[in-house]
Amino acid sequence: MTSPDTTLEKQGLRNWLLSEQPASRRQARFGQVYRTWLAFRGNRLGMLGLGIVLALVLVALFAGVIAPYDPLTGGDLRTERLLPPSWEHLMGTDDLARDIFSRIVYGSRVTLLVVALVAAIATPVGLLVGTTAGYFGGWVDTVLMRVTDIFLAFPRLILALAFVAALGPGIENAIIAIAITSWPPYARLARAETLTIRNAEHIDAIRLQGASPVRIIWGHVMPLCLSSVIIRVTLDMAGIILTAAGLGFLGLGAQPPQPEWGAMIAAGRRFLIDYWWVATMPGIAIFVVSLGFNFLGDGLRDVLDPKAQQQ
Amino acid sequence: MNPLLSVENLRISFPSRRGPVEVVRGVSFHLGRERLGIVGESGSGKSQTGRAILGLTPPSGRATADRLEFDGIDLRKASTAQWRQLRGARMSMVMQDPKYSLNPVMTIGKQLMEAVRIHGGKADARAKSLAMLEAVQIRDPERVMHAYPHELSGGMGQRAMIAMMLVTEPDLLIADEPTSALDVTVQIEVLRILDRLVSERGMGLIFISHDLELVSTFCDRVLVMYAGRVVEEIDAARLSEAEHPYTRGLLGCLPKIVGDQRPLPVLARDARWLE
Amino acid sequence: MALIEIENLEVVFGGGGRIVHALRGVSLSVEEGESFGLVGESGSGKSTVLRATCGLAPVTAGRILIDGIPVTTPRDPSFYRRVQMVFQDPYASLHPRHTIDRVLSEPLAIHGFDRREARVERALIDVGLGTGFRFRYPHQLSGGQRQRVAIARALILEPKVILLDEPTSALDASIQAEVLNLLDRLRAEHGLTYVLVSHDLAVVAHMCERLMVMQGGQVVEQLSREALQAHATTKDYTRNLLTASEGFTRAPAPQSRP
Repeated sequence: MTSPDTTLEKQGLRNWLLSEQPASRRQARFGQVYRTWLAFRGNRLGMLGLGIVLALVLVALFAGVIAPYDPLTGGDLRTERLLPPSWEHLMGTDDLARDIFSRIVYGSRVTLLVVALVAAIATPVGLLVGTTAGYFGGWVDTVLMRVTDIFLAFPRLILALAFVAALGPGIENAIIAIAITSWPPYARLARAETLTIRNAEHIDAIRLQGASPVRIIWGHVMPLCLSSVIIRVTLDMAGIILTAAGLGFLGLGAQPPQPEWGAMIAAGRRFLIDYWWVATMPGIAIFVVSLGFNFLGDGLRDVLDPKAQQQ
Repeated sequence: MNPLLSVENLRISFPSRRGPVEVVRGVSFHLGRERLGIVGESGSGKSQTGRAILGLTPPSGRATADRLEFDGIDLRKASTAQWRQLRGARMSMVMQDPKYSLNPVMTIGKQLMEAVRIHGGKADARAKSLAMLEAVQIRDPERVMHAYPHELSGGMGQRAMIAMMLVTEPDLLIADEPTSALDVTVQIEVLRILDRLVSERGMGLIFISHDLELVSTFCDRVLVMYAGRVVEEIDAARLSEAEHPYTRGLLGCLPKIVGDQRPLPVLARDARWLE
Repeated sequence: MALIEIENLEVVFGGGGRIVHALRGVSLSVEEGESFGLVGESGSGKSTVLRATCGLAPVTAGRILIDGIPVTTPRDPSFYRRVQMVFQDPYASLHPRHTIDRVLSEPLAIHGFDRREARVERALIDVGLGTGFRFRYPHQLSGGQRQRVAIARALILEPKVILLDEPTSALDASIQAEVLNLLDRLRAEHGLTYVLVSHDLAVVAHMCERLMVMQGGQVVEQLSREALQAHATTKDYTRNLLTASEGFTRAPAPQSRP
């Protein structure tokens, strides 16, 4: 039960956020965020996706607390190898007698690292290239978009393979390889958005205030492209996780004994018939997280995409 | 004589976060074979009124009426099949922007002939289509028959659209701002076409517009709508004798070519008009 | 000397196969403190005159002089402090994610004005909105209120000339009257010079002392307000426009297109 005092306080905060007449910059901004949150909250699948993604973050943060066993060193190889799921080992153990649940919990760190780094590298690069090309047009556009086309022409997994083969296997190189191949679609998306935005009257208006191109692109064009790019990045996350897992599966991503979901599946496939849980459990983890990102992306699209809002 | 269309106590509401909002609140009128103008500003519910008559209220909205009768047919109880027979064949609608109402990947001729075929006339579809294009004063109907919508200018597109809506010879035409996107000179030509169709074919016309002056010169009778209600119904010729302060305010606040009233009188809205 | 002088302005859009000759030899001059109207139908080039003046459309040939000095391409910052523009569609001319505060502060920041807070509040009061609107987003405003913000944005750099591109054609009639009154008052208070583009003869006749009728990128004629009111025109095209703007006439009128 909440006491009447806190309910009153909550009501006050809500009114402050939803005020039609904000009194400060901060209130206006928070109000806008709160309104978006209210709209997002109504989307059940989106909320489920958000829950999954938040759970991933929490699990990665508190892996040390959650995991009951050490993910790297196994138990007694004579008695504890390939045990089926039980109360002692929630998801069983693998061929080196390591607790699979603990490895999946620690593996979430690798997954989160991949997701975060790829998003942090690919999104700004894509946005910058796309908006610049779209805003200036002409030869700038031609040069930037041909470069984008070249990157787009590389098959992602093959480029990642080549990259990793050249620099040596490891999760860092895998991330760089994935990031390099994933920004071009964002650049194209941002460029397409920019082409429609740059002819808008409000861009003409700020141009007539004497604003420099940098100010216009940074302050006026990018914020409008950002939401569709974020949506796209979120929806692509599932693919990125799968690519990382694929590299791990091929032995080119995270190296043993590092717990990485893809590599775990690869290790478990030898026992697939007799000891199904070894490969299945990390598979379920990949599936759930990918699905979570897809739901989140769909939910975000419903809230942020101006085209979907017009209804 | 029975009116062509009777509307009594039409109400349309849309859901919102704060409960349903009524955008049309009890509109009643009868239409014979005449030109009826519905005038109002944005948000007055004039367009929703027009759509509701054709059963085109958006799915999220809810339209109710005590009576909604077209030529003896109770439109409130009309089935999907009945609507299909009515719409296009007996009652049509012309929208503001032809761009959104014509199929962009089909020639005008094809779309026209399809409309004719759907509603019966199979044999002479082509001849009928050509005749209709001529009737809306398109000078080169053969060329327009083979043109795609984007190849036509705004005025031509709007005329093609009117031709499409009229090729089935409906008894009732609802024109929602049919000329607002057009230049004044073209606008008058399009109105002339509509005018002839009313007087020659005895069609009933509901002309929805924000332009009080245009409506008053074109229509026989005018309904003035404000916030979902009809605040005044008046013969177009007697508009200058309008009594409701809203109608008078709307007339007064328009700048005139002759006369130099400055500042322009501003419409003072009265909360009592909402009651 | 006239404040705005345009001589034989030609504007050509596009290159290669598709060339559009938007303006063919347009000349006009506007005195300081005057309100000058440009009237015509779509495609007449009336808006292009404004856009070419402020650098949003290319000047292919001819000269544009402000205060007797030819404008440079691109326009220098001092140009924007003297000439500002209000656009037609208040729903498109404000950035959807920026508060009114940001819309009004940004030009001040660009041009390094001092006392920004006070200037923003002053501008909001000037256009009849009041400071309560300062931190709202455009979607929280009606069309008329948005257009007032757009006018405040144009005023905030204290220009001498305001180019008005159909400033009321997207508004309801009652809101149009309010905005026209506001523009009238601001002109008197700030000693502004207006160039107003409209398709509506009545609006131009109300707002402008002199006007120019355009068709197909060319000047049809220049008239004073009095001449327009007296229908004292020698050109058929102007006469047709005048007749058409009086509403529908049931009697068969002569063909309006030459």
